[in-house]
Formats: sequence, C-alpha cells, structure tokens
Amino acid sequence: MKKTLASLIGASVMAMAMVPAVQAQEPKQGGTLTMAIQQTPRHLNPAVQSGTATGAPGAQLFAAPLRYDENWDPQPYLAESWELSEDSLSMTLNLVKTATFHDGAPITSEDVKFSVETIKANHPFKTMFAPVESVETPDAHTAILKLSQPHPALMLAMSSQLMPIIPKHVYGDGQDPKAHPQNSENVVGSGPFKLVEFVRDQHIILERNEDFFMDGRPYLDKIVMRIIKDASARTIGLENGEIELVAFENNVRNINRLKKVDSLDVSSDGYAAIGPIDWLAFNTKKGKTADKAVRQAIAYAVDKNFILKAIMLGAAEQANAPIHPGSPLSDNAVNAYDLDLDKANKLLDDAGYAKDGDGTRFELTIDYGWPALKPQAEYLKAALKKIGIAVSVRASADFPTWAKRISTYDFDMTWDTVFNWGDPVIGVHRTYQSTNIKEGVIWSNTQQYENARVDELLEMAGKENDPAKRKELYAEFQAIVAEELPVYWTNTLPYHTISNTSVGNPPRGIWATSSPLDRVYLK
Amino acid sequence: MSTELEATIEKARSPFSEAFEMFRKNHLAMAGLILLILIILGGVFGPYLYVADPFDMVWAPFSPPGEEGFLLGTDYLGRDLLAMLIHGARVSILIGLSAAFLTVFIGITVGALAGFYRGLTEEILMRITEFFQVLPTLLFSMVIVALFGASLPMITLAIGLVSWPSVARITRAEFLRIRELEFVTAARACGVSNAKLIFRVILPNALPPIIVQAALMVGSAILFEAGLSFLGLTDPNVVSWGQIIGSNREYILDASFTVTVPGLAIFLTVLAISLVGDGLNDALNPKLRQR
Repeated sequence: MKKTLASLIGASVMAMAMVPAVQAQEPKQGGTLTMAIQQTPRHLNPAVQSGTATGAPGAQLFAAPLRYDENWDPQPYLAESWELSEDSLSMTLNLVKTATFHDGAPITSEDVKFSVETIKANHPFKTMFAPVESVETPDAHTAILKLSQPHPALMLAMSSQLMPIIPKHVYGDGQDPKAHPQNSENVVGSGPFKLVEFVRDQHIILERNEDFFMDGRPYLDKIVMRIIKDASARTIGLENGEIELVAFENNVRNINRLKKVDSLDVSSDGYAAIGPIDWLAFNTKKGKTADKAVRQAIAYAVDKNFILKAIMLGAAEQANAPIHPGSPLSDNAVNAYDLDLDKANKLLDDAGYAKDGDGTRFELTIDYGWPALKPQAEYLKAALKKIGIAVSVRASADFPTWAKRISTYDFDMTWDTVFNWGDPVIGVHRTYQSTNIKEGVIWSNTQQYENARVDELLEMAGKENDPAKRKELYAEFQAIVAEELPVYWTNTLPYHTISNTSVGNPPRGIWATSSPLDRVYLK
Repeated sequence: MSTELEATIEKARSPFSEAFEMFRKNHLAMAGLILLILIILGGVFGPYLYVADPFDMVWAPFSPPGEEGFLLGTDYLGRDLLAMLIHGARVSILIGLSAAFLTVFIGITVGALAGFYRGLTEEILMRITEFFQVLPTLLFSMVIVALFGASLPMITLAIGLVSWPSVARITRAEFLRIRELEFVTAARACGVSNAKLIFRVILPNALPPIIVQAALMVGSAILFEAGLSFLGLTDPNVVSWGQIIGSNREYILDASFTVTVPGLAIFLTVLAISLVGDGLNDALNPKLRQR
C-alpha cells in the first residue's frame, strides 16, 4: 500500500486524462439538478453521524482528504498528495493550499487534526481511527497521522462519507459536536456545494461553492434534494422527468419498471464500498442453530436462485461471502451452498435429528428487521419445511423491538441487511470478531460467533499493508466462516442509481452519491 | 268459529318461530344466509376436500389462475392461492366470530350494569364507554397489536376492545326502557334478586337489537382484521384473507388476481353477514310484525 508521490500523481493524471475519453461530451457549466432522497437525515454532519442519509448531502458540503474512482483507486481531493512512511506508522497528507471553508477561512492542518479527533470521539465506527494516536501539524498544509499499528483501512476511511473535514473555528467552540446547531443550519463546510436550506421532510437545497478549490468545479449551479419517502412517488417523479437523479433505490419492482423508460439510465454500479449484503444470521450459542450441521443443512435447503429471481426479480447479485462481491478483497468463490435437499436431509439425519410422525424434526423461529425482508422470512418457512424444520415467523412491531430481540440473543435466525462500509475493518470485522460480542448493541457480533483463528486472521488482516497478503488473510477468513456459517449470505441489496439521460457523469464510483457530485453536469 | 280459534292458536306461536317465518320470507336475507352457510362449510370442510398446505411453494410465482391446475393461480412466493383462500376462510371467520363474541360480552356486561343500577355506576361506566368510543379505533387496535405482538388472540382482543362501546350503549338503552316496565316491577316486588332480574328478566327482552348488532359485528371484525393485516399487523404464521391482500399488495400491478381474489372473498362474506343481519333486524323488530 506504500505510495510514492510520483506514482500517485502519475496515476491521477492518467485517471483525469481518461475521463474525457470516456465521455463523448464536454461537461457543461450551470443548471439545477433535482434529486430525490429517501429519508430526512438527522443532520448534515457525517463526522458525527453514520449512514448514507447524512453521507449523501454531507459529501457535497464537506470535502475529504481523498476520493475514489470506480476501480477503488484513491484520487487526490483535499490532499493533493499523501505518503505512507516506510514503517507504515505515519500518513502524511499534503493539503491543497488554496482550499477555503464556505466562510472564507483557509482549510489548514489544524482543521484536519480537529476533524480526526472529533470523528474518533463521536462517530459510531470506532475501528476507523482507533489506531490513530495523534495528528501532527508541522505546518499549515501538512498533517501527519501517527498510527499505533499499520492500518490499511485508513485509506478508505479518508473518503467523504467517513472523514469530512470540518472547520475547527466553527465546530470546536466547546459545544457537543453531535448536537451542534450548525450541523443542520448555517453549515460551514469545505465541499463543492454550500447549504442554502434544509427543511425537514421537505428538501435540502445546495448551491455552487464559487470558491471551491478544484478549478471549474462543481459544474452544477444548484442541487435540490427533495425528500420523498414513498417509492411510488419517486418512481413517478423519475418517469415524468420531475426528478433527475435517485440513488439508493432498492424497490425491485420499481427498478424494473424504470429500466424500461427510455429517458432514464438505471445502474447498479456505485455501491461496492457501501457494500450492503442481505443475510440469514444464526444464533450460534443457543438452541439447534448452535449446531454447525443444522446451519449448513439450512443453507443447503435455501435456494438462492429463488431469492434472486422471484424475490429480487433479478435486480440483485448473489453473495456467498462476508465481503461484498464488488470489493477487491471478496472471495465469492467459497462454498455457495447451492440447493441440495438430499445433502441437507443427510446432514440432519447424521446429526441425530430424526423426523417424527408428521415429518418434523424440530422447530425454529425466524425474525426480520424490517418489512422489506418479510418475503424472505416467509420463503424460509416454506423452504425449511421440506427438510423437516417447522419455522414460525416472528413479526416485530417496529425496528427497536427487533433490534432488542437480536442484540439480547432472543432469536434462532434472523434476516438482516448489513453494510461493509468500505474497508472490512470498518464494516466486516464487527460481525465475526469474538471481542465484538456486545449485548444490547445491534450489528455487533449478535451471532455470538467465536473462533480463535478468525479473530487472529482479522487482527492480522487489519494491519497488513501488502494488498496481496491481506487478500490471502481475508480469503482464509472467508473460507472458515463460509464453512462454519454464523451467517448465511444470500445476495447484495439491489441498490440502484437512476438518472435522467440529461444527467452527465452520474455517480458511479464506489460510494454512489455519498461522494462529491462536483463532476455531475446537465447536458 | 272453529277456524277463528285455529287462527288464534296459529297466531299465538312463540315469538322466535314467528321471527323465523318473517326471516324466511325475506329473500335477500335468505340469499345472504345461504351464501354464509356455503362460506362456513367451505372453511370447515374445504381443507379436507382440497388437501394442500397453504405455505407450500408449489409453482412459479404469479402464475395466472387456471395455469397448471391451480384454480386461482399462485402468489408472490408461488403458493397456491386456492389453498390459502380456503385456510384463510377459517381464520377470518374464526376471528370474526370470536371478536364479535368478545365485543358482545364486554358490551352487555357494561351496558347491563349501567342501565340496571343507574346512578354513580352508570356515570362511571358510561364515561369509560365514551372514553373508548372517542379513541380512533384502528389506531388504538394498532397500538395494542404493536405492543403485545401480532398473534391471533391478541388481534381478536384488539378488535374486541375497540368495538364494544356501541353494544354497551344499545344494551344500556334497552335496560333503561325495560327496567321501568310493569313486569319488572312485579318481579322486583316478588323479591327476585338483582342478578336474576338482570339476566333472567330484563336481558332476554333486551336481546333482539343486540343480536342484530352482534351479527353485524362479525362482518366488521372480519373487515377490521383485514385492515390490520393490510398494514402488516398480522400473525405471519397463519393465513387470513387480509394477510393475503397485505402481503401481495405491492404486486398489484404485476398480478392483480392475488389481491382481488381474497378481496372478493371478504366482500362476499361481509355482504352475506350484512344481509343476514338486516333480515334479523326486520324479523325481530316488533313494529314490523303482522300482529
């Protein structure tokens, strides 16, 4: 992962040179882009709030040290260059010297230091910056992140979604950064767009930052993000051209309908770093699912093909491993547990679960976190009946009820969707590390899975800077968990970006709209 | 002379057989009754005649009715809609009956006590009734189901808890009227206990309007359950008509039959119950009798 300045500048010049070749048309300045977003963000400051609801507007308001292209390659952004020391323990960021905040104050290394410290103290993803011991600021435009151990996840953590650079002179005034009044209004950002207005449940309006540090960017004058919770309303808006861009759309019927509209581009590209995976999680400590043979038998009895074709209507991708298939670290070639009822029955017979008079071996419950996953739960009931497991579906009144059940281990199986968030250290380790079995915390290791080798592998992979070796470590990890199955991965969440053909450069990078939209233009 | 006497005897039949005669002559009510009996027979014996597990995925999702021998087609998971409809009939009617029973039980108890004792008891009971009456019924039952879990008994309880005030008001009104009648005073003078007065003397005479209300209650309870299911507040482990509609509603544009078939079933059942209820009302109403 060691990058020299020269090779990076070379790579980025090449990448920039390639851009005009890909588009036939020269980007045009000006215009207002109308987008729809699905929910009202709690506020607009991604430094102290996870999730793409805050991340998407946040990435327009705040710049980050790096940005990423479609191939997971880092590009210079607020850091015009960066260098990792020989011992991999310090990351030097050379900031763009002309960069200013929206209020005109220059962006300095002090602000980078403040941002890292604020994120480290307040962001729920503790593993992102845990190894960052201190940030040194030898001069106004050089920030050196000192690490306690090699930390390859830092590269992806320096994206807009996870590491917005926020002004110290505004957010460092002693107020609690999570409840700072300027998280929602009068936001002083560093990104390509400034906040005009944020009205809850209505819209977020952004205008071009005339003093943005990248020449000529952004192309758009204005972005209007309309908050439309109803999927049908978004679909109609896209169809009649009222809305030009929607990201994170995952209603497969609407997606398939929109694919047939000539004036729209529909693409599933752009979600590899966000990495959402649907999975069936097992309670590995309690009841019948504590038995590996039972978990494997269930996996063999579930037809991923049915889920992909009938429930996802062909809009999602198959997932076989804990790391999103779009990630370079994924090993989707592990055992996929293709439908095999004989094998499933044999596994259960051999494990001593005999069928009783009416063909039932034992009973299990299935939970689901939100209504969109109910078809999968109902499917599981029908699928497991075939191997003699009587499944009863448990409905939860609301999300907190479900989260409490799962995080206090009151479950046999549950369908869930969990995000990778870029580097495995940020979004994958949490599910499998025995140190992350935290009662009451949803999306921790709620399966209570414990494997010393897995712990060791994740620990090593977390600090391995050589990409090839790192991939090997993750491959071994994925092979082990695919064999022991604390979680049975079925498919990626069918996130799609739908844009009007009049929109140039729709966001197709690995972070979708949680990345700067400065290159987007209207034809 | 003798024919006149016979006519008098003829007229002096029990009030219920007379009511039945009235009901029998009401063609609409009889049509409703026949339809209702057919639906109930279907629900009771259907699962034995058409042996199929409603949760089994048997064919490709959204097969149109008639394809591959599936008379009503399949739903979004490829489950046999006819099997679901038959099993759903049981659950829907069971919920309708038990919720109506619960409604009538609470309503009669509250209404009878309030109407009989009057005074402070009536004040308190009627304020409670009003309290329940002004609550938005669907919202209140959603809260109950959301809090205590979506199981069949809980859904029944929720429906019963929100529907009883109308029965209580009718019962109270009847009691207020009948308790002042002479035969009640006579019974009281003979030293009949209060409990006996309520249950043996007044209640039987107050029953006709309550019976009509109870019959209509069954229909509205079925509708209520369908509404809750439509909103997703349903026990996912049992099939009810509302639940079929609720889980297939997103696919209404792709396969409308998955929603219209159970919708039609609900419509016919509730219509049948309403016709029967209407017929009962006419039959039991003394003003409409030939006497």
